[in-house]
Amino acid sequence: MADPLIEAHAHHVLDQVTGAGAAGDLIVQQDASLSLKAHDGDLEEHKVNSTRVYGVRVIKDCRAGIAYSEAADAAALDSMVAQALQNAAFAREDDKEAIADGNGSLATDDATLCRQDDVTVETKIAAALAMERELAARDKVQNVPYNGVQDVTAERYVFTTAGHTAHSKARLCNAYAYALLKDGDKDVLDGVERTARRFDELDTSEIVEETYARCIALLDGEAVPSRHYDVLFDVECQAALFGAFASVFSGKAARDGISPLRERIGEKIGVDSLDIRDAPRRTEGFGYTLFDGEGIATASTTLVAGGRLATLAHNSATAGRFGVANTGHAARSPKTPLGVALHQPEIGPGEILESDLTSGEYLEIVDLAGLHSGTNAVSGDFSLGAAGFLCADGERLRPVRNITVAGNFLDMLTKIVGIGNVQHWNAGRSALMARIRFGDMPISG
Amino acid sequence: MLDTRIAQSVIDHAVALGSDFAEVFVERNEVSSIATLSDQVQDLSSGIDFGIGLRLVYGSKVLYGYTNRTEEDELRRIVTELAAKDRRDPATSAGAFDFRAFDDAHSATRTLSGEPTLREKVDYLFAANRAARAAGNQISQTRGACAQRQQAVEIFNSDGLHTHDTRHYIRATLQAVAASGNEQATGSQTDGGLLGWEIVETLDPEVCGTEAARQALVNLAAKPCPSGRMPVVIGNGFGGVIFHEACGHLLETTSVAKQASVFHDRLGETIASSAVSAVDDGTLTHEWGSINIDDEGMRTERTQLIENGRLVNFLADRLGAEKTGHRRTGSGRRQSYRFAPASRMRNTFIEPGEDSLDDMIGSIDHGIYAARMGGGSVQPGTGEFNFAVTEGYVIDDGKIGHPVKAATLISTGPDVLRRISMVGSDFALATGMCGSVSGMVPTTVGQATLKVDDILVGGNA
Repeated sequence: MADPLIEAHAHHVLDQVTGAGAAGDLIVQQDASLSLKAHDGDLEEHKVNSTRVYGVRVIKDCRAGIAYSEAADAAALDSMVAQALQNAAFAREDDKEAIADGNGSLATDDATLCRQDDVTVETKIAAALAMERELAARDKVQNVPYNGVQDVTAERYVFTTAGHTAHSKARLCNAYAYALLKDGDKDVLDGVERTARRFDELDTSEIVEETYARCIALLDGEAVPSRHYDVLFDVECQAALFGAFASVFSGKAARDGISPLRERIGEKIGVDSLDIRDAPRRTEGFGYTLFDGEGIATASTTLVAGGRLATLAHNSATAGRFGVANTGHAARSPKTPLGVALHQPEIGPGEILESDLTSGEYLEIVDLAGLHSGTNAVSGDFSLGAAGFLCADGERLRPVRNITVAGNFLDMLTKIVGIGNVQHWNAGRSALMARIRFGDMPISG
Repeated sequence: MLDTRIAQSVIDHAVALGSDFAEVFVERNEVSSIATLSDQVQDLSSGIDFGIGLRLVYGSKVLYGYTNRTEEDELRRIVTELAAKDRRDPATSAGAFDFRAFDDAHSATRTLSGEPTLREKVDYLFAANRAARAAGNQISQTRGACAQRQQAVEIFNSDGLHTHDTRHYIRATLQAVAASGNEQATGSQTDGGLLGWEIVETLDPEVCGTEAARQALVNLAAKPCPSGRMPVVIGNGFGGVIFHEACGHLLETTSVAKQASVFHDRLGETIASSAVSAVDDGTLTHEWGSINIDDEGMRTERTQLIENGRLVNFLADRLGAEKTGHRRTGSGRRQSYRFAPASRMRNTFIEPGEDSLDDMIGSIDHGIYAARMGGGSVQPGTGEFNFAVTEGYVIDDGKIGHPVKAATLISTGPDVLRRISMVGSDFALATGMCGSVSGMVPTTVGQATLKVDDILVGGNA
């Protein structure tokens, strides 16, 4: 399974850990990527890299510490273990954080996640240049400032002192184009990104068409009067908004007294038709995850069923703290401590035809700005810049820009007017969403 | 960190392959971080990043690669691979290295290389927690963090430059959570700088904890924020994020060179109210966004950006200067060896004026006092930006009223700069992290309290 060199390093590190009377696990992250950016008819940036990071977690006397190293010589790896042990000595006691039992092995299937891709760099450069050229030739296009393709292969290993091993390898290709359009004193900068397992599965012509269509559609946008509206986010925005508040479902946030859902298991938190799951084993999604940050096999988890909170997401430590089953949601990189995160969230289909979701007047929001700063997962409050369309009965009446949408995430779940009966992947295929119509959302314009 | 002979060999190889410019950026980054949860240590981590970034420039094209390895053969192999499609006969030859040492204006005493300070940091965070808890029973939790970093960089280039620098960063934060029933709210206090743990001599955990708790309690009692266009008074310190987002990013040649900034052709013109003079200064001693040299090896400087409303300078890195013709400003920065440098802000602020907070508040019939700001973002091509209010109050009839829940302010850079009508004298700086094409870099924002006559407030009322 493993690269023999990495396996040898893992044995060396874990021997050091057990030799110190501790248990532990080692994560090795190895990435290789290519990034090409085009501008002004020429290649602007050509970037290649390959990196490897080792991150160890040690648990001694019920205290955990981590350390990492980007160097792999014996002295660097020994120093990393020594640092982790030193860090553990300062940590609080937590008898629930432990290295998971089991000595099995897990490995992803290259035929599914890392298929052979023989597309040459020259072809990729040509694609980036063509996207820029084709967009720049369109009416009102002033500039195509951000335009390029990427190819990333990410590999991850988990080794534990219990003898468990896990290995995943996945490849993703990505292409994007953002155009600046001007018409008189009006301007707009917008675009789209698309992701695929292989480069030849990307449709760069569609990226050009969709980028231009979005820009033209939004160019004349103006604010709407400030009041409450029904809102329908596009799949991209809906997935991003749910992603910004995903930590409310974190068992670690609950354990830490931060999650507003920490004492609401079994309670209604949304409308009857609301189902929220995490489905890491859907191979058609690019958030597919075979094992979590502790090397534990993942499985589908129902978080909300019929509007009722069924469970939170847990790693082994938080599951132990609450006395519930581990849901396989440990999050850990070589450089970060043990946390909790969803893998591939999903909103289940409702019973309303999508055509019925769009009856009457509503705002369709296709762009949100400030998700990193305008959301507070502790209070649930948010206020974000937005753009989209004022619509009625499924028809876009006019573009809308320079508005904000605000509210409270948990309140929103109770203000759902309807959930569509079809699920859609977001562009990155990391979330699968039935579209939701939210009622009574404060809009400022 | 890298054998000079190997660096020379790599650069000679790049030049022999026809590159107009070649650079080797070596970085060793040592980090140590602590996270606390109330009176317990939650996480402790540490590590070392090490890598080498190789940049080749052919005309306006940048070829960039990086590796964790230091062997000459491997570095030359990456250069060969990068240049494979652009190689040509050399137009120039690489100069021999001339080592340049720069004075360290931000020397640190209690560094990661010195005596361990973990216990002291934990004690500081615990003391801040106690202070927050003492503010009231509604403080349900605190989360503390202290991160220290020691970044050593060594730079070689085909102009013959060889230099190095070591930067010491320290930052401590306490977040307080206040709760009542199902309602929760947060407040936070962050301090940091370009120095070592000796920063503790200037910090008071009592002040840190009390301030974080005060904000959380204010926000817990906050009412929905009104919506719509209205005048806003923006508090000092981190309020300076308004200039950072509304204007600073638009003055980086990263955007200017692509004509993806609304200000790209406005040099010498009036772009702001005459009340506005703004600076990006990398030289401020021990400030979070300061540097001795930038990540291209140029001594940093103080750059006047706007003078009484008139645009007088852009922020330029080497390539940005070549593309735009604007002079380099020692602003070429990058998160790590994994990024090519780009023009970036350092310590950016609007210079103080003479107005008072009372005068600003008193001049408003109905508006918002945004006492503390969170982060934001900008679209340079259109100048559209947003930033979050984390502690706000209504202003009614010239008086500060009840607190309001978090809101976002949105506008465009050109519009908001024209609408800054009053600037106070209570100047302050605040630390932040800024993300852009060359990754996340430490930046400082700052201003005195100021008044914007009209801006869209995204409230939830």
